[in-house]
Amino acid sequence: MNPRFRRRTGLGAALASPLAFAACGRTPVRPPGHVSRAEIDEAMRTPTELDFWTWVPGIEKQVALFEEAYPAITVDVTNAAQGAGHYAKIRTALRAGRGAPDVAQIEYEMVPAFTITDHLLDLRPYGAGELESQFVDWVWAQVSGKSGEVWAIPQDTGPMGMLYRADIFEEHGIEVPATWEAFAEAARALHEADPEVYLTNFPPSQGAFFAGSLWQAGADPFAGSEGADLRVDVTSDAARRVTEFWAGLAAEGVVSTDPDFSDQWYQAANRGKYATWITAAWGPVFLQSTAASTSGKWRAAPLPQWADGEQVAGNWGGSTNGVFNLTRHPIQAAVFAQFINTDPECTKAMATEQFLFPPTKALLEDPEFTGMELEFYGGQRVNEVFAQISETVSPDFQWPPFNDQVRADYGATVGTAIAEGGDAVAALGDWQDRIAEYAEFQGFTVEEAS
Amino acid sequence: MSTTTAQRETTGASAAPARRRNRPKRSTILTIGMVAAAAYFLLPLLWLVVASTKTTGDLFSTFGLWFAGENNLFTNIANTFKADDGAFGGWLGNSLLYAVASALGGTFLAALGGYGFAKYRFRGNQAMFMLVLGAMAVPSTALAIPTYLLFSQAGLTDTPWAIILPSMASHPFGLYFMRIYADSAVPDSLIESGRIDGAGDFRIFFQVTGRLLTPALATVMLFMLVQTWNNYFLPLIMLNDPDLYPVTVGLANWQGQASSSGGASGDYIPLVVTGSLVSILPLIIAFLFLQRYWTTGLVSGSVKQ
Repeated sequence: MNPRFRRRTGLGAALASPLAFAACGRTPVRPPGHVSRAEIDEAMRTPTELDFWTWVPGIEKQVALFEEAYPAITVDVTNAAQGAGHYAKIRTALRAGRGAPDVAQIEYEMVPAFTITDHLLDLRPYGAGELESQFVDWVWAQVSGKSGEVWAIPQDTGPMGMLYRADIFEEHGIEVPATWEAFAEAARALHEADPEVYLTNFPPSQGAFFAGSLWQAGADPFAGSEGADLRVDVTSDAARRVTEFWAGLAAEGVVSTDPDFSDQWYQAANRGKYATWITAAWGPVFLQSTAASTSGKWRAAPLPQWADGEQVAGNWGGSTNGVFNLTRHPIQAAVFAQFINTDPECTKAMATEQFLFPPTKALLEDPEFTGMELEFYGGQRVNEVFAQISETVSPDFQWPPFNDQVRADYGATVGTAIAEGGDAVAALGDWQDRIAEYAEFQGFTVEEAS
Repeated sequence: MSTTTAQRETTGASAAPARRRNRPKRSTILTIGMVAAAAYFLLPLLWLVVASTKTTGDLFSTFGLWFAGENNLFTNIANTFKADDGAFGGWLGNSLLYAVASALGGTFLAALGGYGFAKYRFRGNQAMFMLVLGAMAVPSTALAIPTYLLFSQAGLTDTPWAIILPSMASHPFGLYFMRIYADSAVPDSLIESGRIDGAGDFRIFFQVTGRLLTPALATVMLFMLVQTWNNYFLPLIMLNDPDLYPVTVGLANWQGQASSSGGASGDYIPLVVTGSLVSILPLIIAFLFLQRYWTTGLVSGSVKQ
């Protein structure tokens, strides 16, 4: 890797590392043991301005509903960037000790990056502890700390499934594969029958897809990490199985390896180069607007399985709302994060108008949501398919405290090896080494699997 | 040496027959290399122009480097300026303000500093200049965070100053370039004669020697204009108020909306593409306009001594 790049990311991460303290600005809120109803009511009647940084399009709708319910509170929405830019902006402001938002959009995989620096407010005392029963178990596990802290309120999720071209399947007599083994056979048969078509595309630089695949296979590479102790095992049998599977198909040339969400990939999806897209619950609506020319030809199905007869899925994407402990208005901020993600009207609008796939049990069972028939999928009730998949996601998957670095290293090692026909299993070892090296450099105690 | 190059340039341009005689000196490999380089730089531009004429549907279903059946360029441009209550026009205005203010201020500072380093002997001249050279090696992205901390202390974040002030000062290349240029373009004798005539240092700089620096000023200004116009990271972390966003942050924001997992994202894709095209036009215009000063300046400067 380019040494300058490493140095720069090293610097950025050092700023966010556990050893860096906010030297100036506000002091963090220490969450009280319990906040009474009366205190909450009083705070919600006090005129307050909240800063909320998010990238969710149309979130103004939920904000308006909140402001209607609590007229004393004004919420200023800042939508500056998504992903890396968003987090860089937040980290800088947190480091400065002022200028950070009260509430922010945070992906599940980034929650540990903000708990390790001790910047998230435990929302339990503000009523979040009682919300557990409203959310799907595995989702709640994603935002829960080791001692039951609630670090953020889930907003949307991405249980993984498979979108497939029913017309291509029919033309070549392919059954929807129930196992990955059947999937591999179908990939070979299809590509032989029509060399222009691939059963699917493996996106080599899409670390989130790979993480979701590990999740489905039962690999939990960072399980047991806590605080400054990091456990890493990306070379487990399950991880190896996933890697060998995709590397094998790519080497045979029966799946393509185009970078996803690129011009080339959009074109290919419209042209019918890929017969399936292994994606997540947000995929169906996304595809609908970007591959409009293929309307009516797609269907949704659960992922193929590693063991016959099983039903297990991973998750790819989705996000939460967290409250930073530098906030001056912890009660109002916490109530806001809870309100927009649990109020029935707010969440219904998110699911049916903004097309965010819901994490709440109520919506996943709501016939108005699951019964939506999408023309793009030949009138199939796609939400129902993904709602069922959501029940099969394993609750055991832990994210590392520096997921962006882990992603970058994945692309440079395993992703590249699969795309270029290198030794992908050896690349898993490289990935492991890089993660361990980086973690040690950042002051973590690393425990590697033998 | 530079004199002869310059002369060959001037004669070569006006005397085509002379050039024809030189034909055997042409290198095929070099020509192919240059054509490849030109294609490498121009193809993305062509893609951008072509893509700006397409609807979202055509964008993803027709060949990228050629036009689709219908031309939607003007609809796209109109939509770009209309979307989000005309936010795009505001972003362009902000970018223009930041870029022009930083370029003017930065060029002025670089001229003063470079001239000072080149023409005055004082204690620490060399050491300070080395410091400037060293600063050139620090990527400005790495400085953005410390800069934020400073501005946050001063309460200047989320204001236009947070972009203009650092952009004015954070391009040591300008200072370096001005020093090198002033060193060769401003003869010491000119300064001495100014002093003999009784002019003060500032008067000499503004009325006599400063004018010799015009070509370098144009170069540095262009450089700073481009840098500030294209700067993404600094405004991203400094600004929260959408009314202050420059076009880079605004377009990235739209792109986020377009690729966001949520709903009707298709609408934003042509806006991002067309907006990108529109956002580079001011730079192209600035280049064409300032380049004149630049090339003629270099020639006249080199002939002078």
